[in-house]
Amino acid sequence: MRNYLVKRILYSIIIAWGILTVTFILLRVGPSSPVDRYILNIAARGQDIESVKQAIEARYGLDKPIYQQYFDYMGNLLQGNWGWSFSSSVPVMDLIGSHWIYSFQLILLSTIVAILLGIGLGILSAVKQNTRFDYAASIFSFIGISIPGFWLGLMLIMVFGVHLGWFKTYYDTSYPIWSLENLRQLILPVITLSIGELAGYVRYTRSSMLDNMRKEFVTTARAKGLPERVVIGKHVLSNAMLPLVTIIMFDLGSVVFGGAYLTEIVFGIPGLGQVSFNAIFANDYAVVVAVTLIGTFLVLFINLATDILYTYIDPRIRYD
Amino acid sequence: MSSAILEVENLNTWFYTRRGIVKAVNGMNYSLYAGECLCLVGESGCGKSVSALSLLRLFDSPPGKIVQGRVLYNGTDLVACSPDRLRAVRGKDIAMVFQNAQSALNPVFTVGDQMMEQIKAHDGLDRNDVLTKAKMLLEEMRIPGAARALKMYPHQMSGGMKQRAMIAMSLSCDPKILIADEPTTSVDVTIRAQIMHILKDLKARRNMSIIFITHDLSLVSEIGDRAAVVYAGKVVETATVTNIMNNPSHPYTSGLISCLPDISSGMKRLPSIPGNTPNPLNMPAGCPFHPRCSKAMEICRRVEPGLVHIADDHTVACHLYGPGAGGSR
Repeated sequence: MRNYLVKRILYSIIIAWGILTVTFILLRVGPSSPVDRYILNIAARGQDIESVKQAIEARYGLDKPIYQQYFDYMGNLLQGNWGWSFSSSVPVMDLIGSHWIYSFQLILLSTIVAILLGIGLGILSAVKQNTRFDYAASIFSFIGISIPGFWLGLMLIMVFGVHLGWFKTYYDTSYPIWSLENLRQLILPVITLSIGELAGYVRYTRSSMLDNMRKEFVTTARAKGLPERVVIGKHVLSNAMLPLVTIIMFDLGSVVFGGAYLTEIVFGIPGLGQVSFNAIFANDYAVVVAVTLIGTFLVLFINLATDILYTYIDPRIRYD
Repeated sequence: MSSAILEVENLNTWFYTRRGIVKAVNGMNYSLYAGECLCLVGESGCGKSVSALSLLRLFDSPPGKIVQGRVLYNGTDLVACSPDRLRAVRGKDIAMVFQNAQSALNPVFTVGDQMMEQIKAHDGLDRNDVLTKAKMLLEEMRIPGAARALKMYPHQMSGGMKQRAMIAMSLSCDPKILIADEPTTSVDVTIRAQIMHILKDLKARRNMSIIFITHDLSLVSEIGDRAAVVYAGKVVETATVTNIMNNPSHPYTSGLISCLPDISSGMKRLPSIPGNTPNPLNMPAGCPFHPRCSKAMEICRRVEPGLVHIADDHTVACHLYGPGAGGSR
């Protein structure tokens, strides 16, 4: 188990390094320079563009060959220096430090909602197979899977924000992060971000439950005189959860990278998605690389956690 | 023999499938007496397993349904009683041992956990007593290192151990009746001998009634007191095992017995019963065995024979013995 863990962590570091390098190169080989934003402002004031640009580039080492810049960046990173954000004029670390909590909160709440509701509805659907409830849950999940998140977000804002006026149409950052007011304004973003996953979990849970309800050990459990609540809640569910854990953990990656960023942009939530969205347009490579790196580590960590979790929930799997 | 502890009366369990109604159990009648081992014998697909599952309503429903009949246990009709009443009987008064312990045990819980949850569900014992009882049962099944075995998952056990753990589990609430559904089909001959030994031992020591389901006549003569021969979802002959083996009366029973290899008769081809078990979707009219029966008469094609007494505790469903058939032996 320990050897396995060490090996997995080493692999994770290599993968993260590869992603970092590719992101860095992609951003730096483009035709525009990170200082272009500055230049536009300076040009408006009527100064000599070229000389100013060269001066700034020299100051940040952007005039050096690209491999030299890469080694400089890597050297700084290893010393814990994440670089400088040109577009925000603050260290990247500070930028991330003040924005990560918004993303974290949104992803956390959406994941909890998706897992609890998705698995709950899935179990009910399986137990009440071929009833009206089951059909309604199926229709709901097909719609949920099919709707693109950003479109749903815009529709929710239009209906509940603009027409009904139940929610603000912009994100108010003045509330404390875990205050009720703040949680209330996260309702629509959480619905938007969780609906796709939730709908998927309903389907997966339902079919996994139905598969396991036909297993022989379920007949054994009934033959032992256990109440139906224990037969379903313990014997069927524990086996049905095995494939679900993989699916849920795998999905988390796509929530982190895809859904959460788009949702933040649609609702104007100042999380890392918003930050990297702005940084990409500003060619602010240090920020983009940093955010990408954090996402990479998160996904790798989730994968590792899934494998470890599996050894606990499925006794047949032990890494030796 | 004492009075019947379980009576199955005209039991009909039908499965409503897309291709038609499968009458897996079609008018089953038998009684189980206290302390005896009754063997249900028949070919694969004759309905013996479904009839056992029907006693505790354990078959998949839908598509299965008991359309008619009674299962009387202690004055309670298990077919008609409430789910709560039935659950109190399941595992407590009537316990089951399944064919394949590998798939009948839940892979993600320890054997101890699976034994103890049953004891907890029926007896109000505290944790320590439950643990002690589970350990004792495993020891009774001669599982080495019972304390360790309790903490084992099914996949960590050998096939024989699993089957014995399964039997230990079924005994955890001291049942009056044990239903063993081909408990030796999925194990090798050595383990089979062990299991048979354990079951015989249990019957003797615990004075338990056993319904032993099998297609293997050698096991019937080893463990059974009485046997019920099942064909096409119903009992065609019941008698003591000695009578069944020495004096088979139904042509199907005699056919089965003549198929047994006999080492003293020298080398010759084993006889077999011609044809196959009837398609359950399309049962022949009259006696379901008549297309394969060498003694079939005109009446067999039209009229289904009922069970008749031909001797003390020997009943047969065959026109050879029917009133006015002139076939008294």
